[in-house]
Amino acid sequence: MAKTKLEHLRLGIFVILGIILLLFAAYLIGNRQNMFSKTFEISAVFKNATGLQNGNNVRFSGINVGTVNSVEMINDTTIRVRMIIQDEMRNHIKKNAIASIGTNGLVGSMLINIVPGSGKGSLITPGDELQSSNKIGTQDMMSTLNVTNENAALLTADLLKVTQALNQGKGTLGRLLNDTVMSNDLQKTILNLKNASNSANVTMIEMNKMVEQLDFEESAAGVLLSDTISGGKIKNVIEHLETTSIEIEKMAQNLNSIIGGINEGNGAINYLTKDSIFVNQLERSIENIEQGTERFNENMEALKHNFLTRGYFRKLEKKEKKNSN
Amino acid sequence: MADSTKTVFAKSKLVGRIKQFFIQIGELSYFAGRFFKEIFTAPFEFKELLRQCYQMGNRSLVLVCMTGFIIGLVLTLQSRPTMIQFGAVSMMPNMVGISIVREIGPVITALICAGRIASGIGAELGSMKVTEQIDAMEVSGTNPFKYLVVTRILATTLMIPILVVFGDLIALFGSALVENLKGQVSFQLYFNTVFDALSFGDLVPATIKSFFFGFVIGLVGCFKGFNSKKGTAGVGIAANTAVVMASLLLFVVDFIAVFISDIFYEL
Repeated sequence: MAKTKLEHLRLGIFVILGIILLLFAAYLIGNRQNMFSKTFEISAVFKNATGLQNGNNVRFSGINVGTVNSVEMINDTTIRVRMIIQDEMRNHIKKNAIASIGTNGLVGSMLINIVPGSGKGSLITPGDELQSSNKIGTQDMMSTLNVTNENAALLTADLLKVTQALNQGKGTLGRLLNDTVMSNDLQKTILNLKNASNSANVTMIEMNKMVEQLDFEESAAGVLLSDTISGGKIKNVIEHLETTSIEIEKMAQNLNSIIGGINEGNGAINYLTKDSIFVNQLERSIENIEQGTERFNENMEALKHNFLTRGYFRKLEKKEKKNSN
Repeated sequence: MADSTKTVFAKSKLVGRIKQFFIQIGELSYFAGRFFKEIFTAPFEFKELLRQCYQMGNRSLVLVCMTGFIIGLVLTLQSRPTMIQFGAVSMMPNMVGISIVREIGPVITALICAGRIASGIGAELGSMKVTEQIDAMEVSGTNPFKYLVVTRILATTLMIPILVVFGDLIALFGSALVENLKGQVSFQLYFNTVFDALSFGDLVPATIKSFFFGFVIGLVGCFKGFNSKKGTAGVGIAANTAVVMASLLLFVVDFIAVFISDIFYEL
């Protein structure tokens, strides 16, 4: 009898435990499909459902927040997807959120991704319709890839022609590749460049040494760089220079106006420079003066030999001789 | 002349076997019909039912758990390299979870139970039959069908689903252990992924078909044992054919169950 009771106890435990496990599994599955939590329904319209099924997950910013409730065809280009979303998400999802259909990984099941919209928006209410974005499907990508492949085929064909021409030494590049003389020249040029750079390097090192050897405290450069008084003076000099340059500018302006006046024919200078008759008269007068002077010299020479004035000139000669001794 | 006699003999033998097969099916259907008839009529052998439940449920638990654990372990170990090749090793819990809950768990558990329970019932009832204990029961006024058959079929029908639940859980645990050791996947992540992948479309049909598996095991075991003939040798035959027929019928039932659940759940 006791054995039977023990058997019954064990059986009871076995059955209860089995049922609990089964119910727990059912609860876990149901909970993940939001069957036991408070939910609300929203929808989104897509052009292509891309294999979306009832029960697929709905993610908001990467978190599972609900499941797809129904996928219904409105017309040939419009598919309405109704989603059941956890009630607590009403405080987070806004009306400007955007829904798109994606996959869970590369080979995973389909799901709906809801991403928050940009800018401010009011919170979502049950029955609202979200904006949707139709992402590029695999088939679209494949067709694009097909075009890319065709282009790549054309490119490789062209490339083949180019490489063949290069190998045959056609064109500038071909000659560049195949001409050994040019390559030698190039090699030499590079060698020269290398030498030049080495020399430049040596020069730079020398210059660095020179700069290091400069006595900044004692030299003029040092004074210029460090002495604030000299700096102030230089500043004054520059200021004066600036003033002077302004004055010079003014003067230049005045000169310009004078020269302008001269050019326009006002004043004596213009008369002197521009009047050709006056110039000729002046030339003749100078010639007359020269002739006059020559004649005067002759007269003076005659005076030296005249008996009345000869004594005077001899006295002068003697005086000069005395001074020179 | 001799050849034609041989052919005629072979033909008649084949016809005889086909005829025998249909007779067996017919008798089995009648046996099942009698079970459904007896189940709703008094008296109810409740104590015997509990005893049989204990014998078939509790006593098979260790065997089922061990098998489930090894199946989960082996399934994961053998699937891993292929999944790694496809770069889908993160999908291991999904794949193993769905295959265990939908198919492997119920079928393996049912086959183990077919081997243990159906043969046991076949041998027990067969020996009772050949030793005329069943006739004695009938003479003493006890309905042997109700006492021996109904309780056993009911016990298997009720216990197999519970054994399947335990078997599934242990198999998943074995799989999680491999994933944990080889793929550094935590148990929490593993079971989260499994239950993410599972839906009622996986759990409900599997549970329902487990009841049918249990019913088939009990029915075939009882049928073979109850109709055992040819003395003590018949006991062995009854036990043997019970296992073979139960196993075969399990797959037939499985096929029908998958076919029907596909219609309802679009698997």
